[in-house]
Amino acid sequence: MILERIIPTVLSVRRLQRADPALIAAYGGNPDKHTALGLVTCDQDDAMYVALDEATKQAPVDVIFAKSFYAGAAHASGRLSGEILGVIGATDPEEIDEGLDALIRCLAHDACFYDADGKRGVTVFPHVIASLGEYLAKEAGLEVGTPMAYLVAPPLEATIGLDAALKAASVRVVRITPPPTETNFACAWLTGDLDACEAAAVAYAEAVVEVAGTPKR
Amino acid sequence: MSRTRQLMDALRDSLGSSDPLPAIPVMPRVPAPPARVYTPKPERSAFAAQAARHTTALVGIGHVGTRYATDVVLQFQAELAVAHAAVSAELPEDWAEQNGFVGVRSRVTSHREFLLRPDLGRRLDDDSLAVVRSRCDKGVDVQVIVADGLSAVACMQTGKALHEAVVRACTNRGLKVGTPVAARFARVWLEDEIGQEVGAKVAMILLGERPGLGTGDGLSAYVVFGPKLGNTDGDRNMISNIHLRGIPPDDAAERLAALAAAMIAQRCSGVTLDLGRLGEVAGGRGYRAPQVRQKLVGGAS
Repeated sequence: MILERIIPTVLSVRRLQRADPALIAAYGGNPDKHTALGLVTCDQDDAMYVALDEATKQAPVDVIFAKSFYAGAAHASGRLSGEILGVIGATDPEEIDEGLDALIRCLAHDACFYDADGKRGVTVFPHVIASLGEYLAKEAGLEVGTPMAYLVAPPLEATIGLDAALKAASVRVVRITPPPTETNFACAWLTGDLDACEAAAVAYAEAVVEVAGTPKR
Repeated sequence: MSRTRQLMDALRDSLGSSDPLPAIPVMPRVPAPPARVYTPKPERSAFAAQAARHTTALVGIGHVGTRYATDVVLQFQAELAVAHAAVSAELPEDWAEQNGFVGVRSRVTSHREFLLRPDLGRRLDDDSLAVVRSRCDKGVDVQVIVADGLSAVACMQTGKALHEAVVRACTNRGLKVGTPVAARFARVWLEDEIGQEVGAKVAMILLGERPGLGTGDGLSAYVVFGPKLGNTDGDRNMISNIHLRGIPPDDAAERLAALAAAMIAQRCSGVTLDLGRLGEVAGGRGYRAPQVRQKLVGGAS
């Protein structure tokens, strides 16, 4: 079915109540502030980035580490690796629990890839974040609370889709990541009014579906 | 619900790819329950077998699992059907005249009313009352009435034969028998009114009895001394099960004649009648072979 949801699978969720300061520093955290850690792996990296941002909105946690793995979940290093490892840090372990709850809820009920050709041969991630949290706001260089369209698709589809998205609404580019990313997709972040972001995401998804259906023309 | 998911659902609808039903989940294979086959278990108890030889009741019929065997059930249903057919049968209006009876009827107007209103079946209608007054002999010893009762089938089968045997037996004892009367839609107490009108010493009604399983052809005879409206069942004597597999009509006729003679001699009937010496008078009550159940349906047994 076209545009069927592909719900991300959470492959592992672990907590470190009191991590070693050297480890925290190596992963980009502040050992004085981030003594407790929550670690999650998942088979969809972009859904995970959105979910990590959601965690920073729902709980006083910081995302200290989030990196996609090369070539994606189909070529993972182990059955628990998936496509990404995300690490959130906080002083209080209970805040880690809060953050993990929000993160997993977002993965289960909000952020996901969609099937673009009915056979899962082409997938698209046309996600609209109504209000940015601390993590993606910092990554994007935007104010916290700004709407943003988070658009991901395979290289050619993403290129045509991004063109359609930019022409569909009054949005402006925050960042374009041309292919290949670690997982060999292409990514674009657009911002504007919430309505404009939504229109851009819909145009992006429609263009990707159209290209997936007629790849040669 | 997630805003992005709403947007994508709407886009999917607009692209015409909406599929309201999710894919059918693969159901687990449920193994079929083990087949349970019961073989008929014939009754092995010697006591039950011996008891079954003396009755038509359902004794010693065995079982299949926790149920009856099929042939037993079919037999039961066939016997019930026989009973239903007997109750629903009607005596033809001209049956009485064709068989040499004076035909009368009760106040009942239809067969359904006959089943629902026993009180109307106990009284003669006006025309019949006039017929009885004009055509029947008065001042007789025994007035015999043949009637349909609850089984017109029985009345038509053995009613005439039993009537003739009773008349013969009574005449042999020197009793004067009244004009033969046949009544439609009659209940037992109808004999009181007819007997009262003809001034008989004893009234005797022979009528089809309420059918049991497999016996739709049984007749009963009710005898009363001094018939008059207002008599109760305590004033009557009766013999039931008069059919070929029960009491044969000839035997029953002898006993009925003896009963009538005893009533006239003792000038009473019912619970006050002394039956102590009746056996000798009626020629004793000898051995009677047990009834045999009629097999109505074929089948392996």
